[in-house]
Amino acid sequence: MSTDEATARRRYRILAVLSPLTLLGAWAFVTAQGLATPTILPSPLAVLASLTDMVGHGYSGVDLATHVLASLRRVGIAFCGGALLGTAIGLLRGRVPEIDALFLVPSELVRPIPPLGLIPLFILWFGIGETSKILLIFLSVFLIAMVNAQAGARACSLDALRAARSMGAGRWQAFRFVVLPSALPQIMTGLRVAMGTALTILVAAELLGGDRGLGFLILDASSFFRTTYVFAGIVLVGLIGLASDRAIALLGRRIVHWEGKR
Amino acid sequence: MTDSLTEAPPAGRIAIAGAGIRLGEGAAAFEVVRDIDLAIPPRQFVCLLGPSGCGKSTLLGALAGHLGLARGSLSLDGQPVAGPHPERGIVFQQHTLLPWRRVLDNVAFGPKMRGVPRAERLDRARDFLALVGLADFADRYPSELSGGMQQRVEIARVLINQPRVLLMDEPFGALDAQTRLMMQELLLDIWTRLPTTVVFVTHDIDEALFLGDRVLVMSARPGRILEDIPLAFPRPRGRDLVTDPDFVALKRRCLDLLRPRDGRPPLPRLTPLGLPLAGAA
Ligand SMILES: Nc1ncnc2c1ncn2[C@@H]1O[C@H](COP(=O)(O)OP(=O)(O)OP(=O)(O)O)[C@@H](O)[C@H]1O
Ligand SMILES: [Mg+2]
Repeated sequence: MSTDEATARRRYRILAVLSPLTLLGAWAFVTAQGLATPTILPSPLAVLASLTDMVGHGYSGVDLATHVLASLRRVGIAFCGGALLGTAIGLLRGRVPEIDALFLVPSELVRPIPPLGLIPLFILWFGIGETSKILLIFLSVFLIAMVNAQAGARACSLDALRAARSMGAGRWQAFRFVVLPSALPQIMTGLRVAMGTALTILVAAELLGGDRGLGFLILDASSFFRTTYVFAGIVLVGLIGLASDRAIALLGRRIVHWEGKR
Repeated sequence: MTDSLTEAPPAGRIAIAGAGIRLGEGAAAFEVVRDIDLAIPPRQFVCLLGPSGCGKSTLLGALAGHLGLARGSLSLDGQPVAGPHPERGIVFQQHTLLPWRRVLDNVAFGPKMRGVPRAERLDRARDFLALVGLADFADRYPSELSGGMQQRVEIARVLINQPRVLLMDEPFGALDAQTRLMMQELLLDIWTRLPTTVVFVTHDIDEALFLGDRVLVMSARPGRILEDIPLAFPRPRGRDLVTDPDFVALKRRCLDLLRPRDGRPPLPRLTPLGLPLAGAA
């Protein structure tokens, strides 16, 4: 049993590492064979060279770390704010019909609008500074977190709630000790989805102005046909996405240690 | 382990008069149970038998205070039942243990809700786990226990609140036959040690006759109490009771009562095309 599990886990690790390496190999092969023009698809080594160049000398007069931190700051603030508020309101919507009624139409009106379609409006309202970038990310994180928390709040059975009430739990205690933990698996899944979306919106939002951030870097490099720098920027965004997703997944497994064992 | 188990409240007298319970909303609302008159003295073990859908769970829900009455009254020791309260504990067919808490913390849930200090409530939880024979499983998670063990933990976490009434809705219905018999004996053993009135819903006639001081047989919708059968078998009861002629006679009587007899029309016979045969019912 346990050795089976160990082999299964090892196989999982090997596959998880092998698949990106294969893609990298295919990329290197295609470029080495000259199957693609370097300005369209540069070789991995050229991208790596640009990356090290940026690490040493920055990009357009600004440290690479500053670009990365500018992006992380925007995502960080918007994600934390949107996750907290969205989860809180979603949980309430899941349990209190009156609150659900208040939010139903406004949130379902806004949800289908692609966030990128809101960019012109946000520029009009909040300018091209930090505020509109952060708000744009915040909004999409908020909506995703809210929908998932609401569904999660309905995950616990009526019997479980009734049993808790019959053991002396008040309404708030039943919410705190039964509803909230039952909702956590779905909340954590929602946060992973929201993080991915947040990074997408980040890059788009940074396209709309400013002189730092990974999105700016990518746009700027592409307008000067510095394709290797475009790729380096994309790789950085991808790595941030991968790291944050793994971090949330790990945190989720820690918090929701009982999931799948019921 | 004696103190925390025996310092239980004095009574557990249930009085129901002219009770009716309506469920559903608007035009779909209907009276699930009707005209329930019932007096249960303290410490009695009452079993509730009835066809599926006759309102046994509904009646239990009203006793627990999860459902309100449409009419009539319902009281415990003279106090009208209004809302759930730990003095009326309930056990469902599916356990409601919290999967994110250890078994011990699950048992200590009720005292925690009432603000009992941690060390004290964990001590008491250990006593009650020992009572159901699971002292060694305090640190496990519910998912690591078998179905029967989970249900024993559930019983412990209700009993720790020292209920005057223990409500059980087919608590052993999901267990295999072997485990069910074991759980019945365990429950009787606990009940003789704790001064608690028990209302026990079941589909299983043997179970009702083996456990109860009294069996109430309910009719199909709207649920009413058809028959109130006292059971005088001496306690402690052993398994050989089920072959006792009196037991067998009562079992036959319950079977008769539960058999659907009022004119439900037979299903129409169908042709291969799914159409009713001309002239058939
Ligand atoms: N929330 C509800 N709204 C409307 N009708 C309901 C509701 N809950 C139960 N009912 C109906 O009330 C009737 C009685 O249900 P109840 O669960 O009390 O039956 P039961 O005797 O416990 O049945 P079983 O033995 O199958 O558990 C059933 O016909 C059921 O369909
Ligand atoms: Mg039922």
